Amino acid sequence: MTTVQLTSKDFKSNLKPIWCPGCGDFGVVQGIYRALASIGRPPHEIAFVSGIGCSSRIPGYTTAYGFNTVHGRALPIAQGIKLANPELLVLVAGGDGDGFSIGGGHVPHAIRRNPDLTYLVMDNQIYGLTKGQLSPTSACGLKTVTSPHGAIEHPVNPLLYVLSYGAGFVAQATPADMAGMTAIIEEAIRYPGFSFVNVQSPCVTYGEDHQQVKAHRTAMKTLASMGHDPSDRMRAFELASHYGEQLYTGVFYRNPNPPPTYGALVKERQAALAGGLPRERILESFIQR
Amino acid sequence: MTTQTESMHPPATDLVIGMAGSGGDGIVSAGESLIAAAAAEGYHAMMTKSFGSQIRGGESSCRVRIGTSALHNPGGILDVAVALNWEDFLRFGAELPVSSQTVVIYEKATNVAPDQLPLGGVHPTDVFAVPIEEIARKAAGTDLAKNTVVLGLLAGWFDLAPDAILRGIRKRFAKKSAELVQNNEKAFQSGIDYAKANPLRQARPLARVSRSTAGLMLLDGNDMCAAASLFAGCEFFGGYPITPSTEIMQYLSREIWRYGGAVLQAEDEIAGIGAAVGASFAGKKSMTATSGPGMSLKTEMLGLASIAELPLVVVNVMRGGPSTGLPTKPEQSDLFQAAFSGHGDVLRPILAPTSVADTFRVTVEAFNLAEHYQTPVMILSDQEIAQRKETVDAIDTSRFEVLHRRVPTGAELESYERFRATESGISPISHPGMQGGNYLAAGIEHNDKGDPTVSGKIHARMNEKRFRKLDPLRHRQDLFAIEGDADAPLALIAWGSVAGVCRESLARVRASGLRAKLLVPTLLWPIAEGVYQDFLASVQAGLVVELSHQGQLYRMLRMQVDVPRGLKSLTRSGANPFLPSEIAQRLEQLAIDLQSRVSDQKGEG
Ligand SMILES: Cc1ncc(C[n+]2csc(CCOP(=O)(O)OP(=O)(O)O)c2C)c(N)n1
Ligand code: SF4
Repeated sequence: MTTVQLTSKDFKSNLKPIWCPGCGDFGVVQGIYRALASIGRPPHEIAFVSGIGCSSRIPGYTTAYGFNTVHGRALPIAQGIKLANPELLVLVAGGDGDGFSIGGGHVPHAIRRNPDLTYLVMDNQIYGLTKGQLSPTSACGLKTVTSPHGAIEHPVNPLLYVLSYGAGFVAQATPADMAGMTAIIEEAIRYPGFSFVNVQSPCVTYGEDHQQVKAHRTAMKTLASMGHDPSDRMRAFELASHYGEQLYTGVFYRNPNPPPTYGALVKERQAALAGGLPRERILESFIQR
Repeated sequence: MTTQTESMHPPATDLVIGMAGSGGDGIVSAGESLIAAAAAEGYHAMMTKSFGSQIRGGESSCRVRIGTSALHNPGGILDVAVALNWEDFLRFGAELPVSSQTVVIYEKATNVAPDQLPLGGVHPTDVFAVPIEEIARKAAGTDLAKNTVVLGLLAGWFDLAPDAILRGIRKRFAKKSAELVQNNEKAFQSGIDYAKANPLRQARPLARVSRSTAGLMLLDGNDMCAAASLFAGCEFFGGYPITPSTEIMQYLSREIWRYGGAVLQAEDEIAGIGAAVGASFAGKKSMTATSGPGMSLKTEMLGLASIAELPLVVVNVMRGGPSTGLPTKPEQSDLFQAAFSGHGDVLRPILAPTSVADTFRVTVEAFNLAEHYQTPVMILSDQEIAQRKETVDAIDTSRFEVLHRRVPTGAELESYERFRATESGISPISHPGMQGGNYLAAGIEHNDKGDPTVSGKIHARMNEKRFRKLDPLRHRQDLFAIEGDADAPLALIAWGSVAGVCRESLARVRASGLRAKLLVPTLLWPIAEGVYQDFLASVQAGLVVELSHQGQLYRMLRMQVDVPRGLKSLTRSGANPFLPSEIAQRLEQLAIDLQSRVSDQKGEG
C-alpha cells in the first residue's frame, strides 16, 4: 500500500463525461477526485466498480482501474475484487435503480459480510439512462413515463435500508455542498468496513424542481448543526426516517467500535490454514490407504 | 463339485450389483464399503447413487460395479440385485434393470414368494429371500446392521474381498465404540455364513486381480473438479448451492484457504458469478459452479466476461430439466443453453468430461483455455459423473501444463492499451495494482484502450477480434478422442457420461467382428468442423447417442457439419440410462441394414 502526494487532477481521466449539462453527477465526480487526492492512494491501487446507469458511468471519468459492469451487480463484483486483492481501495457507485431495485438483493449481503469498501449511490429518484421512468426511490404519486397516472407504490428509504441491515457507516450528501460532500466521501472511504453514502444527485433532465441543486442549497440541513451524535444508532434511525421529507446531510451513523472486516477474517483464516499439500500433490488426499 | 462349476464358468471379470432400500437402510454406505474394499484389493470399482427427492428417509439406491480391468460406465443389466423392500427397488425402474441372469437377494419379511417377484416376467437364475432384518437383530441386536448383513451375503456369495470389507467395517465403527465394531463383525459373519449355507446354483466368484494399488484414488467427479481447479491455480470460487453441483463448493470451502484463496457463498447465482468475475478482473483465477436453473441466472454475467475479456471457468453439472426437473438425476439437456443462451454475438468454449478421471484433465484444460484466451469457459458435467465415485489410477500431474494469462511487460505498460489489436486477437491483460495498466473494463463496447464507444466500425472490429482469438480451438485434435477402426463405415459419437457406455458398446461390436469407431469430443463448442468431417468421411451409418429428449449435439452438428444421411440421433430423456448392450445391438442392426442395402444395389446392378 502506498500513499503519495496527489491532487484532484491525478484522478481525472481524459474521457469527457456524457452527462447532461448541470447533472448532479458532475459534482459527485469532483468530490470523489478531491476525496481520493486527500486519501493519497495512487490511481492504480484503486478499483472503482459500478453498475449501469448515467451515474454508473463515473469510474470511466477517473484514472483508477474502472469496471463498468452490468445493471445492479456492482456490489458482488466489487466483493470479488476486494477478496482477490485486499490491498486495493475499492469504491462502488451507481444509481438508485441500480442499487435499490435490480441490485437491492445484494445490499443486505454486502452489509452482513462487511467488506472494507465504500458504496456511493447517486440517488436522483428517477431512471436517468433509460429516460425518466419510475425509480424505487421516486415519491408516491410521481408521474413519469411509466407512471403516467401517478405512482401508486411507496419509495424505498435507502438510509433505513442500510442502517437496519447493520451497516457501520451511513451518510447522506449533496453536491450542493461540495465541501461537505467531499469530507463525507473521504470519511466513508476511511471507515474500516462497509460504508454507504446516499448522494442526492439531481437529474436536471427528468428530475423535479425541488430536487435540483439550487433547491438543495436552501433545503439541506447538516446533522452536525443539529448536534447529532453519529454513534447514536437509534437516533440515526429516527433522523433517517425523514428521508424524502427532510434533506439531512452528514453522517447518520458511524460504528464507534468497527468489527473486523470480511477481508481481515479471510486473512486470518488463510493464515490459520496455510500449508496444505502443494498444489501439484493435491490429489494425494484421495489415495486409498 | 466346486471345481467342476468353476471349470465350466471361468471366474467373472466384472460384477454389477444394484441395491435399493429406504433412506435409513444404509444402502449407500454399504455401497461405499464395497467399493472401498474392492479398491483396496486392486479392483477397478465404480459406484453411482440415486435418490428419491426426499432429503431423509426416502428411497435410495446404488449401483456398484467391480471389475478386473478399467471400467468406463456403471454397467448395464445387474448381475446381482438387492432389495430391502420392493417398493423402493421398483421406484428406480430402468436405473436397476434385471434379467434372467440376475441373482436376486431380498428381504424375506417383504412376504413376496420367490416365484412371484414383481420383476416383469423375469425368472432369475437364483433368488434368495433372506431374513436380513432377523439376522441383523440376532447378530447385532439392531436392524441398523442390515446393511452389514448384506455386505456379508455379497462377500460370501461372490467372494468379494471379505478381509478388506471387514477392515473397512472395523475402521468405520472404531470411531464410535468397541461394541459397535463387535456387533457389526458378527452381522458381517452371519451374512457370510448364510451365503455359505445356501450356495448359488452356479458359483460366480470374481476373479482376483494382482496389481499395485499404490497411488490408487477413490473419489467422485465433483471432488475431482474442485481439486483439479486448485491444481490449475484457482484462487477464488463464488457460488450458490444447487444439486448436483454443491460438492464442488463444499470441497473448496474446506480447502481453498490453504492456498491463499477464498470461497464466497453468495446470496444467489448472479452474485456468485459476479464475485468470480470481480476476482478475475483483480487478476486471480476464478470459478463458479451450478446446475441448469442457476446457469440461467448467471447468463447475463457471461456476456460481461466475454466482452470484458476476463478469464473465468463456469461449471454446469447437468441434471434433468427444465426448471427443478429431476434434480438428482443426470441428463445432457443443457448443451443448447451453454452454447446459445448468451445475448449478442459471442462464442464461449464448452468442454465435457467423460469420467471422474477425465474431469481432472478437462478442468485443467478449462482453466488453461480461460486464461490463455481471456474468456469464460464452460464445463458441462452431469449428475452421474459428478456424484459417482470411482477408482482412479494415480495421475502424474507433472504431465499437465498450467497456463497463466498474459500480463503486459514493463515496456508494454509504458503505452498500454488493454484491448490492443494483436494478430492472435489476444491482448495482454493488466489488473488493479499494476502501475500503468489502468483501464476501464466494461460491458459497454470499447476501443483498443478500453474507452466506451458506440461506433459500429469499432464494434465490428472488436467482435472480429473476440472471435478470431478462439479460431485455433477448432484445430485442437487433442480435444477429441477417436477409437476403433479408422476407416469404419459404422460410427458412434457420444459425449459426457454417455461416452463411457459407448466405449463398451464399441468394444462389443468390434469383438463380434464389425468394423466400427467412436468419436468422443471433449470440446463441444465451437464445433470443430474439420475434425468431424474427417471422422465422418468413411461413415455410412452411425448414431449420435445422447441422454436428452432432443439430442442437442446432433442438432448442432447438423447446423455446422455436412453429416452423412446415415448418421442418426439416438436419444432418451435423463434418468433412463443407456445400456452398453442395447447400443451395441443398434449398431449391429445398422450394419445389417447397410449390408442388405449393398446387396440390394448389387441385385439391381
Ligand atoms: C438487466 C438490465 N435491465 C435493464 C437495463 C436498462 N437500464 C439501464 S440503466 C437503468 C436504470 C437507470 O437508473 P438508475 O440506476 O437510477 O441510474 P441513473 O441512470 O438514474 O443514474 C435501466 C433500467 C439494463 N441495462 N440491464
Ligand atoms: S438524464 Fe439525468 S441523470 Fe442522466 S445524465 Fe442527464 S441529468 Fe444526469
